[in-house]
Amino acid sequence: MDENMLCTKTHEYILEKDGVYEVGITDYAIDQLGDIVFVELPETEAEFAKGEVFATIESVKAASEIYMPISGKVVEINEEIANSPELLNDENYADKWLVKIDSKADQVELADLLDYSDYKEEVE
Amino acid sequence: MTKQTFLHDRHVELGARMVDFAGWDMPVQYSSILEEHKTVRENAGLFDVSHMGELIVHGKDALAFLNKIVPQNISKLTDTKAVYCQLPNKNGGLIDDLIIYKLEDNKYLIIANASRVDEDLNWMTRNQTGFDVEIENISHKYSLIAVQGPKACNLIRSNGEKDLPPFFSIKQGKLFNIDLWISRTGYTGEDGVELLVKNEFAVTLWDKLLEAGKACGVKPIGLGARDSLRLEAALHLYGNDLNENTTPIEAGLSWSVPKDKTEDYNGKQVIMEQIKNGVTKKLFGFRMLDKSIARHEYEVFSKGEKIGIVTSGGVSPTRGDNIGLAYINAPVLDKLTVGSTIQIMIREKLHDAEIVKLPFVEKHNKG
Repeated sequence: MDENMLCTKTHEYILEKDGVYEVGITDYAIDQLGDIVFVELPETEAEFAKGEVFATIESVKAASEIYMPISGKVVEINEEIANSPELLNDENYADKWLVKIDSKADQVELADLLDYSDYKEEVE
Repeated sequence: MTKQTFLHDRHVELGARMVDFAGWDMPVQYSSILEEHKTVRENAGLFDVSHMGELIVHGKDALAFLNKIVPQNISKLTDTKAVYCQLPNKNGGLIDDLIIYKLEDNKYLIIANASRVDEDLNWMTRNQTGFDVEIENISHKYSLIAVQGPKACNLIRSNGEKDLPPFFSIKQGKLFNIDLWISRTGYTGEDGVELLVKNEFAVTLWDKLLEAGKACGVKPIGLGARDSLRLEAALHLYGNDLNENTTPIEAGLSWSVPKDKTEDYNGKQVIMEQIKNGVTKKLFGFRMLDKSIARHEYEVFSKGEKIGIVTSGGVSPTRGDNIGLAYINAPVLDKLTVGSTIQIMIREKLHDAEIVKLPFVEKHNKG
């Protein structure tokens, strides 16, 4: 996990890269979910407000809704993950972001997100 | 306060994720539900099912009493044989589903669901009047370990018990020099046994089975895989597929209900009427035609109308698709056959599914 990630208390993260944000779920969340068997991602161009459900991840046990950590518009979805959701459980696989979003999030929107180190402390 | 089985510390040491199940702190998975599922289908797995209830019914009227409370014909049960039973209320709705074993004349063992033991005892006590019978709850004295999978029986044979009881039978025996009851039953669709052992020997038995089974790939299995295994075998789960508003006929358990039992039993009128005239809802098996997953309580549609409800649903690791059980209402239920298309509402979208024949995965447990 990248130390620059900002996390939500509901276990999503954002990571700024090349002017867009990667959005995904934390390694802790993946571990808690167990075997992931299905991922439902939004269409590109879809717009979401902060806190809105943008994806669903199904493990063998249950379906979990994934919330957008900040507002933004989807510019890319991770097709690899959509086609092979079990890659999320693969410790050797790095590209676990779900979508990339274009966001104009200001400091107010970012304020309640946790630094990765603080997040880790929170969940451990 | 959640209850713990005598194997609780072992589960924690083995790295299990523990969850509350029917008031018990139980292992849902040790490594991965998918891997554990595969282990049972290919090798064998150990399950701690000590949360389940064990009751002894004994006394001069034990047979007459049991014949009054279940639709099955207990008179036909010979010593050491077991039968899958239901415990209906007066309306034919199910208080529980059970396995009843005849240990000897006037003495029967009942295995009940953990979540229903108290209800069962209440109901049995209410029905006890006029019968010379005692109902003893021995659940707190015994642990139950299931060993299931194609390699399960050989593991038992090579560790003390050469002659296993036939399918749906029980015998007293010894494993690793520990006295126990060996029953050729299970909840996975695989061949295997369930071992009823006094609590004080449970940990030793568990450790020795794991150790002896290591060479043939035996691993501990949590409740997660227990659920996916039983669903593939289309074995009902009380609370999901069965409850006080479902009869055995509606639940597709007609095969287990004798048509010629002369004794009166609770719910007989409704059950017999349904056998004769049909039902207003019935349990069907389906498979999803896309990658989506149906879950408990999702709604079922056909031609834009709600026609039923999913009671169990999930992944079938063996088949590689997603499957489920659903109650479908009349009149649609009469038109459905294998291959008919229905739709499941998943997150406000309809997904196509197809009626399939049960069980979803062929069983290998006829002994």
